[in-house]
Amino acid sequence: MDQLIATLTEQFFNALTIGGIYALVALGYTMVYGIIELINFAHGDIFMVGSFVALTVLTTLGLSGPVSDPGMLAFSLAAAFLITMPIMGVIGVGIERFAYRPLRNAPRLAPLITAIGVSFILQNVVYAWRGPSPVATPQIFPVQERFELFGANIAWISVFIFLVALVLTVALQSFVSRSRLGRAMRSTSQDREAAQLMGVNINVTIALTFFLGSALAGAAGIAYGLQFGTVSFSLGFSAGLKAFTAAVLGGIGNLSGAVIGGFAIGFVEVITTQLGYARWSQAVIFAVLIIVLVFRPAGLFGQQLGERA
Amino acid sequence: MKLRNLGAFGAIVLMVGAACTAGAPTSPPVSPGASAGASAGASAGASSRGTVKIGVDLPLSGGEVANGVPTRQGLELAVLEANEAGGVGGYMLELSIQDDAVNGVHDPDQGASNAGILVADPAVVGMVGPFNSNVARAIIPVTNEAGLAQCSPSNTGVDLTKEGSEVYRPNNPEQRNYFRVATPDDIQGPAAAQYAYNDLEARSAYVIDDTEAFGVGVANSFTAEFEDLGGSVVKRDGNDFTTNQSFAALLTAAGDFDVVFFGGTQVTGGGQLRKDMGTAGLLEIPFVGPDGTTDLQEGGQEGAMITLAGVENSENVHGTVAGIHDIPDPEAFAAAYSAEFDEQPGAYSALAYACTQALIGAIEGSADTATDMAALREAVRAHIFGGNTYETVLGTLNFDENGDSSQKFISFYKTDTELNDGTGGWVFVRQEDFAEIAP
Repeated sequence: MDQLIATLTEQFFNALTIGGIYALVALGYTMVYGIIELINFAHGDIFMVGSFVALTVLTTLGLSGPVSDPGMLAFSLAAAFLITMPIMGVIGVGIERFAYRPLRNAPRLAPLITAIGVSFILQNVVYAWRGPSPVATPQIFPVQERFELFGANIAWISVFIFLVALVLTVALQSFVSRSRLGRAMRSTSQDREAAQLMGVNINVTIALTFFLGSALAGAAGIAYGLQFGTVSFSLGFSAGLKAFTAAVLGGIGNLSGAVIGGFAIGFVEVITTQLGYARWSQAVIFAVLIIVLVFRPAGLFGQQLGERA
Repeated sequence: MKLRNLGAFGAIVLMVGAACTAGAPTSPPVSPGASAGASAGASAGASSRGTVKIGVDLPLSGGEVANGVPTRQGLELAVLEANEAGGVGGYMLELSIQDDAVNGVHDPDQGASNAGILVADPAVVGMVGPFNSNVARAIIPVTNEAGLAQCSPSNTGVDLTKEGSEVYRPNNPEQRNYFRVATPDDIQGPAAAQYAYNDLEARSAYVIDDTEAFGVGVANSFTAEFEDLGGSVVKRDGNDFTTNQSFAALLTAAGDFDVVFFGGTQVTGGGQLRKDMGTAGLLEIPFVGPDGTTDLQEGGQEGAMITLAGVENSENVHGTVAGIHDIPDPEAFAAAYSAEFDEQPGAYSALAYACTQALIGAIEGSADTATDMAALREAVRAHIFGGNTYETVLGTLNFDENGDSSQKFISFYKTDTELNDGTGGWVFVRQEDFAEIAP
């Protein structure tokens, strides 16, 4: 019994870690869909690029292994997030400017295909940059540091990743609901023409959405590297697919829905694994998605941002 | 190492690349030295009959350089030496080298297309390659139809020669042409199980594969043997690394065990599994893998097992290689190899050298009776499958009716993180000939 409780506790934290990463990526899907109704298939690869940018930032800062001094660790982590997230934001804005904005009034399929193209371009750029082999990333957060809970040894890194996901979600949520720019985002999402007539700069607002979504993907990329220690150019596809599923599960366009969807997928994955059906985890995730959509076509929490879909 | 190879062999790679693009059968000379040696030998030899070619298909670009290039150099060395000795049965040897890597990864379709180029060239009387079993599955139907003797230095897939191999010979089911010097997986898996049970004294194992044909096969045969020995397999999992890159939940769910066996390669999850074992605090549990993870590469090399696992997690990692380690005269081979290529032999260099030696022996034994190239090609094939023995760098061996070598060595290795100034490396533990117990 004690053994079972320890195992379940450990799995609970495994799910929080992986779910936190999915949630951060899912936010980008849901924001972009909410504002321009585009399923940004390149977003998984933006997450992948984020993990490589984070790797480069850490290496440039001269960090190669665990940092044990707490002050130094906090400083290094802050530097990693504060440098990587804006870089990724700018990359996201660049993609929007050159790949999506020219097609904003084109038929829906055009930007969708473009998004798939951008996904391949990002993969090939990273392939050319770092090669086909997986690359080890500096795990500056000491993954061996643990605490005991219900007989299980939990690594602090899982708590850290969960907290990062939580803090960034809350920050994003309050930005969107409280700030002026957030209000511009919500109005653009509700009715682009009306918002424009009321003086909202649509281009800036949409660019801002891409900036925030890509920055969050960058944060997820950092978290992924810290936890798993290896990144590869092909990483984006499966993570992107799961995060997209998370966004649909929570109700695409809905910020808190995407986050809860991300954690839900993390838990589904871990539960199937614990039951001994690891091979089936993808099938189970999509089975859950189908069941949810049959009963709640708009996802678990419905759509909040977009009202025209 | 990669850059050095690219520099030294850029010319050949470029020519091979050109051959692939043009789709035309070309045969670059081995090296300027070889051509000079060839003409000198031809003028000296009284019974010069011209030139025959040995076709080569290996993955030679991108992430495969570490696999393909040392293997290619092994067979190049054999051809160089044969030509310097005045040729084989009156013929000078040339190589027709094809690269089956597409975007840096071995590709079965590219392999089949390369094999088409090779069989279309009448001067090609034997072939060495491919490196990967899944490429072999695409190539054998092509070479079998053409009756071209083909020797793989490294394929370990059981179905290539044994039960189920007839599907790769749709046109000539009765006529074998494919043979190999590597030891198949139905021996490698059980050998790893004996190592885990006897050498590591493990009694409970967690067995996980990468859901690919090679990984599943070797993991299944490990499981069967480990249980036969009296051990218990606490859990038998599969993880498709392209859809799930984390082993944390799998390790938690597996519970307690004495050893982990991973069926797969370092890039399909082997490296990440060991890294996640480190994160989960399970480093005192030994990791055992097949030749897919036992890459014998230094830590820090791109894509190597120790690089991907991280040297801090790489102590206590063990594995098998499907071939002989202590060849009868390793110093002589290493000296000849490094004199030519300025580096140490790779894991499959000697095996590729032995493949070429078998083909050379068959050409020598057939040259006097075969009247033209088509007859020579068939005679070489018949010679290999005629129960003849060959003196090779691996020792004296012959090939059975399936094309498997009479030698069935498995070599065992483990990591040592102190090696190479602390970046880590592999050390040889022991080797064993499983010819007696072979299925």
